[in-house]
Amino acid sequence: MGGATAKAEDITLTVWSHEADETAKVALREQAARNLEASHPGVHVKITWYEKDGLDSALRTALPAGEGPDVFYVEPGETQYITGGFIAPLDDLVDWSNIYDWARAVWKIDGKTWALPEEAYTDELYYNKDWLKKLGVSLPANAQFSQAEFLDLIKKARAADMTPISQGVGDRPYPGAYILAEALLRKLGAEDYGKLLTGELSFEDPRVVAAFTWVKELVDAGAYPKNFMTLKLGESHQYFYRKPGSLLFPMGSFYTGRAFVPVDQGGQAADFPLGIMQFPAMDDAACNECKTVAVGASFAINAASKHKDLAAAYLNELAKPEMGKRWMETVYLQTAVKTAGIQFSGPYAAYFTELMERQNGAKYFTGMPVDILTGQCKETFAQVMNKAFPGGLLTVDDAVKAMNEACYKH
Amino acid sequence: MSADVANTASVPSKGSAGIGARQASPGTIAVFLAPAAVIYAGFIFYPVLRTLYNSLHTVGAQGVSTFVGTENYIQLLTHDSVFWRAVGNTAVFTVVGTIADVLGGLLLALCLFSRAPFARALRIVWFTPVLMSYVVVGIIWVWLYDYDWGLINLVLHWLGLGALEQSWLGDPSTALWAVLVTHLWKWLGFNMIICLAALYALPSEVLGAAELDACGWVAKLVYIIIPMLRPTLLNLLVLSFIGKMMMFDLVWIMTGGGPLWATETVSTYVYKRAFKWNTFDLGYPSAIAVLWSAMIVVFIILMTRLLRQRDRLEF
Repeated sequence: MGGATAKAEDITLTVWSHEADETAKVALREQAARNLEASHPGVHVKITWYEKDGLDSALRTALPAGEGPDVFYVEPGETQYITGGFIAPLDDLVDWSNIYDWARAVWKIDGKTWALPEEAYTDELYYNKDWLKKLGVSLPANAQFSQAEFLDLIKKARAADMTPISQGVGDRPYPGAYILAEALLRKLGAEDYGKLLTGELSFEDPRVVAAFTWVKELVDAGAYPKNFMTLKLGESHQYFYRKPGSLLFPMGSFYTGRAFVPVDQGGQAADFPLGIMQFPAMDDAACNECKTVAVGASFAINAASKHKDLAAAYLNELAKPEMGKRWMETVYLQTAVKTAGIQFSGPYAAYFTELMERQNGAKYFTGMPVDILTGQCKETFAQVMNKAFPGGLLTVDDAVKAMNEACYKH
Repeated sequence: MSADVANTASVPSKGSAGIGARQASPGTIAVFLAPAAVIYAGFIFYPVLRTLYNSLHTVGAQGVSTFVGTENYIQLLTHDSVFWRAVGNTAVFTVVGTIADVLGGLLLALCLFSRAPFARALRIVWFTPVLMSYVVVGIIWVWLYDYDWGLINLVLHWLGLGALEQSWLGDPSTALWAVLVTHLWKWLGFNMIICLAALYALPSEVLGAAELDACGWVAKLVYIIIPMLRPTLLNLLVLSFIGKMMMFDLVWIMTGGGPLWATETVSTYVYKRAFKWNTFDLGYPSAIAVLWSAMIVVFIILMTRLLRQRDRLEF
């Protein structure tokens, strides 16, 4: 037997992953590990499963000490691993032919690609079809209300004693800003919205103020639940489709990860009348067909890894089309792995068909604000745009001023 | 007993099996001290020195540090409004919380000491929250404070006080107090048990003499019980003070420092700056930690001096 084989027998590829509690994702990543072991005799893949905070802490300690794993889970926005030199560029290591270009673009920084995206999602505005009907309102053909129509819808829902929008910020720094962020994206267009988030455009720009003013009208009309400040993400899902129910639910399309599980595990009822509408069209908008697409779970290779080729082979296993298909069918989420032309089947086929319809003609802006903002600006976004402003604690002027002071690079 | 005999008794001869600890050789002492000294050096002394060092540097991801002198401190003291907000919140939490904590614990202990009805049951009920983790306590109280389905608003509504219903943790004017109430609920039982133990340890002849002198309950409390409990109360004050100056977990669970930094404490701010700002720079958060530690030490010295017992009680 050759020396190469003897050496290979000593290799254990280490992978650290978040999402220990999502069984479908665990099964999929373990499957990729077993596939790699089958194609590389003598290689063993050991995946260590963490919760998010535990993984962050472990990486922060292990990487600077040179004790990190070969492959680890990252999310966009965690650029400290790139600037710190802990991640190897993947441009020439990974086969990118199976990954959507827009998803890869999320991880392109300074001309290099730093991680392989697995999960992707868009910002969507879910609604209860029956309740919309009950209000006597029809969804426009393009599934998009105007600013005024949407405000009127919120008022009608309140008058009918419905909670218009299920949303809470009890445990997350971003959901409260869905409506405002999407309004800003449409009003400004992708380019100027990007400038706003990177501090090159002032929050005192009249278009920005106009978007804030409209959202303030929604807030004042009672758009959000009274327990907005303490409602947790998981609870907001339940609030929407179980109890007490709401008309609308702005959420990433990772919604399905919680909703499409059995009812006794907290999922929505099989007959729940779930619909998806476009976020409202803004008056004098630069891009009413714009929408946010974001990348979630991704994997990077440790710059200090001695087995970069094997690590890349593991990432290639994750990126195979059959794994993308399995992701869609078992995790019920979108993926960065190319799945165009896939035929949806099963109990949620209608949902995925509607979701794809809502993407028709969309112009994507890549990245949620929390993925892009850093430092004081990120913290202020979480406190102001995510919490206090939609929570009705701030005037438009105060909110704009706070954001400008923290984010605008004069 | 002669002096010689006394000396012989107290200084065992060399090589005898009963060598006293005070006469152990330096080598023996070193062997016994070494484990604790190594642990202390590794887990206390080095981190403290390292934090001091970091506070004067910008720390890079690969451990590369750039010396910035007092820049972090100047930035912190002159430009960081969130830090000062956190200092203000922590001060309110500490001063109000410490007084309420010790006073409340003492009152509960006096209640049990005076053999109130159901004292045994009350002791268990009041002490139970101490045994619960902050995570559980925090979640329970977030539910209690919930605007829509929380028990507090429900009770107010039921009592016809619907106008007082509000988002207790969502309003900057009530959030800090709401967290403080939760904290008191958890810790009053601990202070109660300590005070109760001290009360039972009081010399019964002194209390008996006071009763024979027809001393009233209030006078007995003010002139006899509290002065005799003074060392216990001082210790509780200092412990409570330190705990609140470092308040983190409950705030993190209940509000994350919001809304609008209304519940931000120095500890939550240090954590955010160190671990939530997508940077490996521990220089600035180290400066906050150093400054805050110094302030805690100064306050504790002041407290101890101010509350030090000048007249020794004799009983």
